[in-house]
Amino acid sequence: MKKLFSIFTLSVMMMLMMGCDKIDINNTNKPYTYFGEGKTVLIKDFTGVRCVNCPAAAEVAHELQHQLGEDRVFILSVHAGFLATAMGQFPDFKTPEGDEWYGNNSANPLFSVDHVALTEGNTLNESQLDTPLSEALAEDQTFELFIVNNYDEATRELRVETDVTATSDYLGQLYLTVCLVEDSIVGRQVVPGGVDTAYVFRNVFRGTLNGADGESFANGSVYVNDEFAKNYTATLNEGYNADQCYILTYVADKSKGGKILQTAMEKIK
Amino acid sequence: MRNNILLVLALALAFGFKASAQSFLENSQVSGSFQTDAQYYRLDKGIDITDLNGKKLGLNGFGKINYTNGNFSAGMRFEAFLPELNGFRPELNGVGLANFYANYDNGFIGVTVGDVYDQFGSGLVFRTYEEWSLGMDNSLRGVRTVIRPTQGVTLKGVYGRQRYYWAPYSNDLDAKNYRGIVRGIDGEWDLNQSIPAMNDAELKVSMGGSFVSKMQDTTVVNNLFYRIPVNVGAAAGRINLAYGRFAFATEYAYKINDPSAINNFIYKNGQALMSSLSYSQKGLGVVLQVKRTDNMSFKSNFTGMENDHDINFLPPINYTHTHSLPSMYTYSTQPNGEMAAQFQVNYTIPKGTWLGGRYGTKLAFNMSQVNDIVRDSIMVNGQMVLNKKGTLGYASNFFAVSDHRFFRDINFEIDKKISKDWHVTAQYINLYYDIETIEGHAGAPVVEANIGFLDVTYKINKRQSLRFELQGLWEKEVKKGYAYDESEKKDYQKRGDWAFGLLEYTITPHWSFSIADKWNYGNPVPEFRDHYFTGTVSYIHDATRIMLSGGRQSEGVVCVGGVCRTVPASSGVTLTISTSF
Repeated sequence: MKKLFSIFTLSVMMMLMMGCDKIDINNTNKPYTYFGEGKTVLIKDFTGVRCVNCPAAAEVAHELQHQLGEDRVFILSVHAGFLATAMGQFPDFKTPEGDEWYGNNSANPLFSVDHVALTEGNTLNESQLDTPLSEALAEDQTFELFIVNNYDEATRELRVETDVTATSDYLGQLYLTVCLVEDSIVGRQVVPGGVDTAYVFRNVFRGTLNGADGESFANGSVYVNDEFAKNYTATLNEGYNADQCYILTYVADKSKGGKILQTAMEKIK
Repeated sequence: MRNNILLVLALALAFGFKASAQSFLENSQVSGSFQTDAQYYRLDKGIDITDLNGKKLGLNGFGKINYTNGNFSAGMRFEAFLPELNGFRPELNGVGLANFYANYDNGFIGVTVGDVYDQFGSGLVFRTYEEWSLGMDNSLRGVRTVIRPTQGVTLKGVYGRQRYYWAPYSNDLDAKNYRGIVRGIDGEWDLNQSIPAMNDAELKVSMGGSFVSKMQDTTVVNNLFYRIPVNVGAAAGRINLAYGRFAFATEYAYKINDPSAINNFIYKNGQALMSSLSYSQKGLGVVLQVKRTDNMSFKSNFTGMENDHDINFLPPINYTHTHSLPSMYTYSTQPNGEMAAQFQVNYTIPKGTWLGGRYGTKLAFNMSQVNDIVRDSIMVNGQMVLNKKGTLGYASNFFAVSDHRFFRDINFEIDKKISKDWHVTAQYINLYYDIETIEGHAGAPVVEANIGFLDVTYKINKRQSLRFELQGLWEKEVKKGYAYDESEKKDYQKRGDWAFGLLEYTITPHWSFSIADKWNYGNPVPEFRDHYFTGTVSYIHDATRIMLSGGRQSEGVVCVGGVCRTVPASSGVTLTISTSF
């Protein structure tokens, strides 16, 4: 009997020792690990200058981007919806393409991860971002994207050369969308407790160079190493700061509800 | 799978080896049960079912066989979901041997291999069970050992991996199907049985303790953002006391840091306390229960949501309604935190008194309420944050009750046999139901309702009887004329006032016929003011029951023990066949 109790007590002791891992509460975040080449992910942040909860939500998205690597996770701040409508001295960042992506939604902030179509169920709030982000980053890369920007400061003409290369065989309805992004714009934003007159707007979507859906480049099968080149030109608006402008492109599959397969970003200067 | 079956058969042979062929046959007992629930779905524009998505038929079925021979028993359960009925998880779709076991128990030691069901205490740190009506089965595939070294002492150990629908049990899996290994020990000591001096004492005392740990390989299920503990342990202690007509039981559980999808990846320790005090004498029973849970969801996969991968069970302390309208808004346990209390009095007015009449009158009063726990912000890196991922989440005073009420049910029931032919049951319920928290309808107004029913049975003669039910549900705010937001119309699918009527004719011992209508006449949205007619015929022959019903089923939730699943609205014909032997 004593032996039995000794064995039981020993089992309890062993389980207590082995059965728990205490994590240091000051060290819960994993450090950023550089993954090299691989699948990249696009977060679309549907925001508004009069949306009081949007700055904090954008901060969450940027924290995640910082943690996971700014070369793997891209954020596009799309001003859309009622709370994005400019009034008085608030800046107007709304775009027709942004309105089209936003669709019939009625709230801000909303997010999508690698999805162009904002159909029901594809929108997320900031606290729901990490699981789809993890899943999207775990996907295999199917395309590689290259961007070469040629910007003429005198004429403000911008020529964008893009190249899409398949890294594996793929079947789908493939589109390339080219977006102009301006970072670090200072302006008025509603924040908890009032208005921040010098709020810094990050990664503001200024429009596309080829429509809300982009341009189709393949419909059906593509095979590994297939290459598709697309070139676009645009004139940069006088009000945009060329030093803070980027071209962001992504490949999406319309047969999968517009799911984004790969994203890339390049400064125009 | 094949290897597992061979293993069970080998063990069965090994355990049964001693029994001679003669006694093997003489002492054998075989029991089992079968059930098939099939539903044919049809389009019904009247209740907005305009597309079946190709699913015209759903079928859930199982066959269970148990074999017992002396100290040895073995069994298996075969399941088929071809495809699963609407409202059940799509992961159930499939067919196969879901469960099997072999057990040897000689009173001193008992060993079970295969799929194990057990519970430690009230289940706060460990409970595996199967509930057919929920499509839930969190059995542990592995080993369970029970040792009873002396009178009144029971020691248990379990080790294995939980069932997750049809996902294989191997370690070589994708993250979605992966779940950790669960290991647990439990000891229970009944002092009245163990200590001779206490054998006949009026004070009955038993106590117990458990420790359960899960080990989840975080290289298989990786989280990019946070350091997830590989081993998470939970412990519980309990005591049961009984003296005369009083009984008291309590259990306290504690769990270390367990960041998960369900608790928003916070690292706070979990706690739970459950206590009950009861008094009973002939004709009178009084029970008071209290419960506090804080961050006590315990799953074998930290990414699990809803009821998947549950290792523990947080018992609800609410009245279980069985009639149609009272059970429309059933409380679902909130694993992240609750303060709950329940008080119940049952009293029988004695026979032969003015109010008791010839047969006595049963009265029951029940009140239960569940509020949220209080969560205070904590300081992290110089900032006050609340429930932020990667932190301790919040601070919570153990005894503080939040103003946020999830649920309250106050009900009073009279059960009266008026004469040898007439029996009446009537109940009034006052309900408060935070549908936003419990069912996730963001922004939807709280359900505050008065509900009542009358259930009358008239015995026509020895073989035939008639039963009718009249029920009503009246919401205080949300009713005809309520100004709802057009964009959130779908959240009002079952809201507003309801009426229900049922007439049932029974010819014992075989036949039963019933017709019923459930009418959402007071829905604020005119197009949702629908009738849900049903007609049912059932035939019983010994332990076999065949039931055929046709009509509409309203949207709702099915809950068993605080664990719920959503049932979508449907229309069609349902056939249920069940038998046991």
